[in-house]
Amino acid sequence: MSLFGSLFRVDARPSPLTAWTLSWFLFAAGIALYFYTSYNRHIENPDDRVVPTLHQLGQGIAGAFTRPDTDDQDAPSVRFTESMIWTDTVASAKRFIWSMLLLIPAVILGLHMGMFPVVGKFFLRFILFFDKIIALSVLPILFIAFGIDELAKIMLIVIGVTPTIILDTVNLTKGVPPEQVVKGFTLGAHDFGVSYLIVLKQILPRVLNSIRLNLKSIMLFLFAGEMIASQDGLAFRIALLRRHMGMNVIIPYVLWVALLLFLVDLSMRVMNRKLHPWFHE
Amino acid sequence: MIRLEKICVVYGGKKVLDDLNLTIKAGEFISVCGQTGCGKSTMLRLILGAERPTSGRVLIEGRELPRPDRHRGYVPQKYSLFPDRTVLDNITFGPEMEEFGILGRLTPAFRRRRRELRDQAHGFLRQMGLQEADAGKYPDQLSGGMQQRVAIAQALIMQPKILLMDEAFSALDPKTRLDMQRLLRKLWAETGTTILFVTHNVAEAVYLGTRVVGLGQARVLFDIEVPDSARGQDRERFEKLVAESSHVEQADYEVSELTA
Repeated sequence: MSLFGSLFRVDARPSPLTAWTLSWFLFAAGIALYFYTSYNRHIENPDDRVVPTLHQLGQGIAGAFTRPDTDDQDAPSVRFTESMIWTDTVASAKRFIWSMLLLIPAVILGLHMGMFPVVGKFFLRFILFFDKIIALSVLPILFIAFGIDELAKIMLIVIGVTPTIILDTVNLTKGVPPEQVVKGFTLGAHDFGVSYLIVLKQILPRVLNSIRLNLKSIMLFLFAGEMIASQDGLAFRIALLRRHMGMNVIIPYVLWVALLLFLVDLSMRVMNRKLHPWFHE
Repeated sequence: MIRLEKICVVYGGKKVLDDLNLTIKAGEFISVCGQTGCGKSTMLRLILGAERPTSGRVLIEGRELPRPDRHRGYVPQKYSLFPDRTVLDNITFGPEMEEFGILGRLTPAFRRRRRELRDQAHGFLRQMGLQEADAGKYPDQLSGGMQQRVAIAQALIMQPKILLMDEAFSALDPKTRLDMQRLLRKLWAETGTTILFVTHNVAEAVYLGTRVVGLGQARVLFDIEVPDSARGQDRERFEKLVAESSHVEQADYEVSELTA
């Protein structure tokens, strides 16, 4: 049966080659469309900076990877670890890591809310309300309250992502079969033993998945904070270059961010599989 | 001794157990049977301490124990093992927890003791008819029968005074079920643990128990001692009597042919 004939068949079984071709087709089409547009725009205007050519992109990438973070266009080349993209990556990564670390208390709180009804009653309504607040809408309040330093940016991520992680953890905790909790007590465990050694261990791979699925939100809030008030970072650079129409650097930066996020996602998946070999999604 | 006094349990206006009285002596093997929804599991959960009666009292050795503890072992039909632990870790979880808690696991003494407990767990595995190679497997790599064997080992390593089993063999195939019944009888004879076994299978109830308690209409319908002859030449007649008394459906009664 032809590919088109099986397009909307639920029992279609594409061959490995067809599957591979299909999965890469949109990438190839996107790249082809980009360069077609770039070519046509440069025929009309050789100085066009909106859709840079491959050569312009190469110059932008080389600059980002070899030039230091300075306005001086004639600055000498530096090592990668002193380059603009590296310093921006490190600055954003620090904020990202802090935000991830702040998710640990969120998971612990979610676990306690799910396990202990009194704690659950105390926090749930408040967290549900908190979850409905649009994090970006409180950005001005954060900048007024915490200044424009790192704390405000990290708080933005905390406000934006932690309620989701807390509520996810509560649901996952409540999803553990009650038989397991009872079993824990009959095996001599007390409340914290059951909570941490039985329930948390069982939900942890799903919690990590939940965090993994929220990586994009974390990055979104991180970028929002960096674009508005920052002196360094990947989003700061993108916002800065937007003013100069530096698309030949912005595009590589966007792809670099996507690559980093993909690697974080991949490493979390691998870590989850290694740490929890019993877990099958 | 376990005493249930004037137990009444109401769910959403419906009486599941009504004025239920029952006494279980230490070392008895009680089979509880009855139709689905007759309150068998509720009664077991009351004794376990996982549920509280609407009115009445559950006394264990003369005391009301409001929550499950290490003296009452529990083997449910499903979710009997921790999926994130290997067979060996499932078995040793109880003693490790009891002796070291959470933070005690960080001490060097824990490592030493853990080795001893694992040796002990290997002994339990052999007793349950499992292979050494199964020790490192996760529960989802085991068959239903093997999982229940591990669950029994996990409960017995704690040397509970009472073992509560809720339809623990219901999901097993007839052959495995018979093997497990024999194993359980043997373990009961060896350990003298008080066992309360909930089942809706009459043949199983009669084969296992020294006493069969039938529940229905939210109360005890009958409570009879099982003579040794009921496991021999009188088996069929006795099973029929119990089945009729407990109004257990014919389909469940016919299972006795498979377990014979």
